[in-house]
Amino acid sequence: MTDWNAMSDEAFRREMRAFIEAEYPRELRYILRRARWDEMKGWWGKLYGKGWIAPNWPRAEGGMGLDAGKMVIYLEEMERYGVARSPDQGITQVGPILMQFGTEAQKRHYLPRTLSGECIWCQGYSEPNAGSDLASLQTAAVPEGDHFVVNGQKIWTTLAHDATHIYLLARTDRQAKKQQGISFLLADLKTPGITIRPIRNIAGHEEFCEVFFDRVRVPRENLVGKLNEGWTVAKALLSFERLNIGSPRRPQYALRRLEMLARAKGLLDDPGFVDRFIALKLDLEDLASLYGRFVGRAKRGEPLGEDVSMLKIWAMETWQQLTELLIEAGAEEGVIAGVREIAGVETDFLSPFYYARPATIYGGSSEIQRNILAKYVLKLPS
Amino acid sequence: MAAASGTHTNPGVEHRALLAESVAHFVARATDIARVRRLRGSPAEHDRAAWTKMAGLGWLGILVPERYGGLGLGLTEMAIVAGGLARGLVPEPLNAAGVLATTALVAGDNEALKREQLPRMVAGTVLPALAWQERAATLDAGAIACRAGPFEGGFRLNGAKRFVAGAAQADAFLVSANTPSGVAIFWLPRGAAGVELALEPLADGRSFGTLTLRDALAPAAQVVASGAAAAEALALALDRAAAIASAELHGVMSRALEMSLEYLRTRVQFARPIGSFQALQHRAVDLHIQKELASAVLEDALAALDREPAPAARAALASRVKSRCSDAALRITRETIQLHGAIGFTDEYDAGLYLKRALVLAAWLGGGAAHRRRYAALEGVNRES
Ligand SMILES: Cc1cc2nc3c(=O)[nH]c(=O)nc-3n(C[C@H](O)[C@H](O)[C@H](O)COP(=O)(O)OP(=O)(O)OC[C@H]3O[C@@H](n4cnc5c(N)ncnc54)[C@H](O)[C@@H]3O)c2cc1C
Repeated sequence: MTDWNAMSDEAFRREMRAFIEAEYPRELRYILRRARWDEMKGWWGKLYGKGWIAPNWPRAEGGMGLDAGKMVIYLEEMERYGVARSPDQGITQVGPILMQFGTEAQKRHYLPRTLSGECIWCQGYSEPNAGSDLASLQTAAVPEGDHFVVNGQKIWTTLAHDATHIYLLARTDRQAKKQQGISFLLADLKTPGITIRPIRNIAGHEEFCEVFFDRVRVPRENLVGKLNEGWTVAKALLSFERLNIGSPRRPQYALRRLEMLARAKGLLDDPGFVDRFIALKLDLEDLASLYGRFVGRAKRGEPLGEDVSMLKIWAMETWQQLTELLIEAGAEEGVIAGVREIAGVETDFLSPFYYARPATIYGGSSEIQRNILAKYVLKLPS
Repeated sequence: MAAASGTHTNPGVEHRALLAESVAHFVARATDIARVRRLRGSPAEHDRAAWTKMAGLGWLGILVPERYGGLGLGLTEMAIVAGGLARGLVPEPLNAAGVLATTALVAGDNEALKREQLPRMVAGTVLPALAWQERAATLDAGAIACRAGPFEGGFRLNGAKRFVAGAAQADAFLVSANTPSGVAIFWLPRGAAGVELALEPLADGRSFGTLTLRDALAPAAQVVASGAAAAEALALALDRAAAIASAELHGVMSRALEMSLEYLRTRVQFARPIGSFQALQHRAVDLHIQKELASAVLEDALAALDREPAPAARAALASRVKSRCSDAALRITRETIQLHGAIGFTDEYDAGLYLKRALVLAAWLGGGAAHRRRYAALEGVNRES
């Protein structure tokens, strides 16, 4: 097994780049929508074959065991080539959760199958009445012999229609205070009583779903962590998710597209445009500096702290503004649907704009992140 | 229109009340969002029966003088109708046909053509579209590369026009082109030899037309206007349509803000309506201020435009109102999605439809930045004083 961390950054980057360029399907570069499993399974197989499917997992579990620095390179190279995000919740969420909280049997069963792509996971947290206030969730799991009987509804479940399994939060104690009566369960989506209905988004794609549970029998051995302690399990990964989502990579891509278009259309001669463009460019460069601080903490193994919420706010809001400026730069052409060639540049004005909208909603909305900063970082009275 | 009750002394006020009533009635009875969804992205794009109904209500003749069968009213009246229809996202091209194209013909100098076509336009049997633009991001109707060479007592046209609003079902195009003696506007029936139409789909389910002219022939009788009259007709049409687009943007932002406020009052998280969170209250107030600014500048600008100011003042007014309304509508409709959370990102929910209409109306006839640039030039802020 290769110790990737022992490699120089340059050598690692070179090897990644060569592999991606050789193996990643060209027609899937830079797609803005979420890629479907059918499109991505070939690429998944290639990464799996090379042992590169799980950069964040320890080598003993079949991952690459990358340290924080190499992890950034991994993500950068994927992003640089426009590699679409696979249905990767198993790798980013379920694996690390099982390694920390799972039983030996759960790890033995699910980890290899998650790596190989036999188990594809979706996240069943949100419900119609439990969004920002996730702890108010109502989906119930009632113990009955060696099973839980699950009733309720999840919503906004990304790519549930491509998944084979769902990890979900369900209420197992109705008497306990909100966060305390929740448990973390794994369920096979083929279990009788589960119905999935895709929901179309404003970009015209069916990417998230409703998932209904009608007397669904989930084996007791699918409980992860202790009964009624699912909240702790779910929370464990949050700060790393915010570090990842707060990276400057995605907005940088939007910035490059904007710059190409602006150059092609001669907008860089317009001082009004240049001022706004450079302001956003600096917003991103400064984000990269701030992000570097947090990556440094992660490299040193220090806790990230609640202030990591800043990254997500700034990265996502800057991204949104870039997509707004792109549309404005397109003028009349900016509101025409589809991919078109504008002054020699392949451009889709609307999709980036649409996909940047929910970035301040999912993963903890901008409002919720600001509440966290006000309360835990600035320690303002509530 | 029905006779006024006689309590008002100002006929304008009566007309306005009647128009507001009839548009509210139309939006409640003759159209709904299901119809809007059905038509979006369809080749027809809008519904000719609805167009005929709108004609029957007199709306297509609001800006047409009475001697041609119109009502001879002003932009203030047209804004009542267009703004009201925009609240319901009505897809029929009232502004593109009933303001932009109609103004170009009315302001032209071809009396015979006016007598022939305006009554038909008012009746809804002839649906016109104005093809003035050739490249993106310009407000200059004089930036024309299309050529009209003299040919057998008439003209032969070559070139291409883009971003033609209301083209999908247009029966005739009013096309600007340069003749050897200056700019002129020509009346070209749809499907005439050498006139080719392609449609580009827009965010809001409607489309822009691209008109390609290859030796298209226009007899002298089909010259809508020429020379200084043509240039002025185009500039006037653009300014008036920009003002009415602003009224439409106002309708869109008003309805979107209402949706947001309804949601803030009813959506419960953390055991409270989310509208009780101060962060969202302040957001809602900021959006409300934008909407009120838009409504105030709109009212003033429409009244001033109806007094027919000189071209430079007129253009400055149009730019002022389009700048505010474009930016306010974009901000409010974007925030409408944010305030709704994930449901706002779904196609099933209407918030996205309002955002998409705002995108198109903001970009059409110049967005905020373009109009601020023009305003600066007109007001001379970039000249030494
Ligand atoms: C594209 C997309 C993909 C998603 N994928 C998944 C998935 O795979 N699995 C999953 O479980 N969930 C998923 N979600 C759901 C996501 O986690 C929720 O949308 C999010 O938690 C917000 O909840 P909500 O949509 O119900 O909005 P609400 O919580 O109802 O919020 C509405 C508005 O109120 C604001 N608000 C709420 N509370 C406060 C407060 N205390 N102070 C100030 N403002 C407040 C919010 O910021 C927002 O602007 C996804 C969402 C989207 C948009």
